Amino acid sequence: MARFEKQLEELHVQLITMGSLCEQAITLSAQAIRGKGKGLCEQVLRTEQKIDEKEREIEGLCMRFLLHQHPVARDLREISAALKMITDMERIGDQAADIADLSQYIDDAQFQTQVNVEKMAVAAVKMVTESIDAFVNADLTLAKKVVADDDYIDEEFNAAKEELAGLVAEHRLDIKAALDLLMAAKYFERIGDHAVNIGEWVQYSITGTMK
Amino acid sequence: MAKKIFTSIMLVSSVIVTLGMALIMGILYHYFNQQLFRELQKEALYLSRGVLQDGISYLKELEGEAARVTYVDTDGTVLFDSETAPSSMENHADRKEIREALASGSGKAARSSVTLSERTIYYARRLSNGRVLRVSTTQYTVIELILQLAKPVMWILGLMIILSLAAAFYISKKIMEPVNELNLEEPEEGETYEEIAPLIRKIRNQNRQIQNQLAAAKRQQEEFSIITENMREGLLVIDRYTMLLSGNSSGWRFFDSKDKTGQSVYSLNRSEDFRRCIETVLEGKHTDSILKIREQHIRLIANPVAGNEKTEGAVLLLVDMTETMERENLRREFSANVSHELMTPLTSISGYAEIIKGGLVKEADIQSFAGKVFDEAQRLIALLEDTIKISQLDEGQIPYEKQNVDLYQLAKETCKSLQEKANNKNVHIYVEGGRTPLFTVETVFREIMYNLCDNAVKYNKENGSVIVHLEQKAGETRVIVEDTGIGISKAEQKRVFERFYRVNKSRSSEISGTGLGLSIVKHGVQFLGGSLQMESQEGEGTKVSMVF
Repeated sequence: MARFEKQLEELHVQLITMGSLCEQAITLSAQAIRGKGKGLCEQVLRTEQKIDEKEREIEGLCMRFLLHQHPVARDLREISAALKMITDMERIGDQAADIADLSQYIDDAQFQTQVNVEKMAVAAVKMVTESIDAFVNADLTLAKKVVADDDYIDEEFNAAKEELAGLVAEHRLDIKAALDLLMAAKYFERIGDHAVNIGEWVQYSITGTMK
Repeated sequence: MAKKIFTSIMLVSSVIVTLGMALIMGILYHYFNQQLFRELQKEALYLSRGVLQDGISYLKELEGEAARVTYVDTDGTVLFDSETAPSSMENHADRKEIREALASGSGKAARSSVTLSERTIYYARRLSNGRVLRVSTTQYTVIELILQLAKPVMWILGLMIILSLAAAFYISKKIMEPVNELNLEEPEEGETYEEIAPLIRKIRNQNRQIQNQLAAAKRQQEEFSIITENMREGLLVIDRYTMLLSGNSSGWRFFDSKDKTGQSVYSLNRSEDFRRCIETVLEGKHTDSILKIREQHIRLIANPVAGNEKTEGAVLLLVDMTETMERENLRREFSANVSHELMTPLTSISGYAEIIKGGLVKEADIQSFAGKVFDEAQRLIALLEDTIKISQLDEGQIPYEKQNVDLYQLAKETCKSLQEKANNKNVHIYVEGGRTPLFTVETVFREIMYNLCDNAVKYNKENGSVIVHLEQKAGETRVIVEDTGIGISKAEQKRVFERFYRVNKSRSSEISGTGLGLSIVKHGVQFLGGSLQMESQEGEGTKVSMVF
C-alpha cells in the first residue's frame, strides 16, 4: 500500500476511535443523569479529555496530510470532512461532560419524573452511534436517516420544556431542578444537532455535494 | 535494438565509404598522374619540333594557348616563359628536371605550392641544340581534392544516416516481429528463429514452474478456506494498521457484518473493550478476554504475529461463549438449589435433635420428634436417590437390560400405586388404550411414568382427572399424560425440566417434592432415545407427549 493510502487509512482508524470515544462519553453521561452508578462523572470527564487529545492528534494528521500529499478530489473531501467532523465530535464530548456535571445536582427522584429527558438521552445516544456507523461503513442511507432523526429529538425537547414548565407551575418540582433538567435536555438536543452535522459531513465526503 | 542496428550499419558503411574513397582516389590519382605526364611528354615533343624550326618566336605565338612553357639555355638562363617575363626569373640550372634533362635528355619533377593546394608537374626535354624546353601543368593535390570532395561526401553521409535509420528500424521491426508475436503461454507454436530456441525452452520451463506453483498456492488457499469456513469459531487476521486481511464467514457472522476485508477491524466493532484488546495485541501481547458483542458473550483470543522484532499484525479467534456462560449460570443456580434443598431437611433434623439433646422434650414426645427426624431424613434420602438417578441417566451408567414391556400393564400399575394420593385429592386417574408392547428398559420407563403421573396428580385441582393415553402406529409408540391441573405458564415451560427448578419458588409449599421429577423424565426419555413435548395452558392443564 502506498504511503498515501496508509495515511488515509490511519486517519480513518483514528476517526473511528474518536467516534467511539464520543459514543462512550455520551452513553456514560446518559447513565450518570439517570443516577446509575457512582464515579460515572469522573469517567465522562476522563473520556472527554481523551476526545480532546484525539482531536488534536487527528488535526495534526490532517494538516500533515494536506501539506505533504496535496490530496485532490475525493481524498481532499474526506480530509476536509474529517476536519469538520472532529470539531463536532469534540463538541459532543464537551456536552457529554456538561451533562455529567449537571447530573451531580439532579437527584434520582427528580429525574424519574422526567420521562422525556430519558427518551432524549436514548435518542441522542442512538443518533451519535448511527452517525459514527454511517461514517465507518460509508453508509449514505444511514447518514440521511440521522439527519432526518433530528426532528424527533427537537420535538422531544419541546415536549420536555412544556412538561417542566407545567410541573413548576404546579409546584411539583423545584425551580432549580427544573432548570438543571432543562439544561440537560438542551445539551442532548445539541448533541443531536452535532450528530446531524456528522451525518451531513459523511454525505459530503461520499457524494461531494453539500446541503 | 534499432539503435544498435543503426550504429552497426553506420559504422560499417562509414568504414566502407572511407576505405572505398581512399582506394579509388589513390588509384585514380595515380592513373591521372601518369596520363598527365604522358600528355606533357607529347606536348614537349611537339613544341620542341616547333622551337627547333622557328625559334623562340614559335613559342611566343603559342603564348596563352598551351600549357606553361619555359625555354632554358644550356647554362640555366631562362630564355622564354609563357607566364612570367624571363628577365625576372632566376637561373634554373639547379632545378631537378633541368638538371636531369641536361644530363640524360629528359627529366621530370613535381613540386607542391606553398599552400599545398596545387601541385605542379614539370617535364623537361633537351633539344638537339642543347637547350632545354620545359612544359609544366598544375593539378590539385590530394589534400585539396579531399577538401573539394568534402561537400559531396557530406551529402553522401547524410543520405547514409537516413538510409541507415530507415533500414535499422525496418530491420529491427522485421527481426522482432516473430519475437513479439510469441505466444508466451505456448511458446513453441508459431514460427520463430532457431536462435531464440534456448529462450523459448526457458520460457516453457518457467511457464510450467509458474503453473505448478500457482496450482499449489491455489490448493493451499482452498484447503485453508475450507478449514476456516467450516469452523464455528470466527477467525480474523489483521495487519498492524488494524486493517482486516482476511476472515472466515463465522468471523463476520459474530459481528453481523458482511465481508469487510480491507477495512479497519474497528468497523466491525468499536467498543472500548474491543479496542483495548486490539491495541494490546498490536503492542505484541497475547490477550484472551470475554466481550459482550450484540448480546452475545464472545471470547476473543488475540495472538500477535511478530515479524522482524516488530508486530506485523494479529490473528483473532472468536469463540461463542454464550451457551457456556448460560450453562455456567445454570450450574451456579443448580448448586444454590441443591444446597437449599439439602439445607431444609437438615435444618429440621438438626433443630429437633438439638431440642432432644437439651432435654427439653418430654419422654412421651420423643417418639413423635423422632418420627419427624425420620421423615426429614427420608426426604433427604429420596432427594439424594433422585439426584443419583439423574446423574446415572446423565452418564449413561445405568446397568440395564432391554426387554419387552407391556406399557399398558405398566401404566396400570403406576396408577394403582398413586390411587391413594389421587383419592385424597378426588382426582380421577385412568389409562386409555390397549396392550402396548415396547422393547425398552423397564426400570427407567417405570420411573418416567411414575414421575409424570405423580406430578399430574400433585398439581391437579380438586375433582380433576389424569389420563394416560397409549397408542401405537407406524412403528411409533406414543405415550401421553394429560391432566386438568393448574398448568404451567409459557415462560416456565422451558425451565421445568431443569434440575431443582420449581415453579412455585416458596419451597415450603404444601406440595412436597424435590424439583427433580421432570428432570428425571427428561433424562430418562433421552436415555431411551425418545422425544418429549409439553403443551400447557395456565389454569387448564398440562399435556406431556412422548414418542418412542
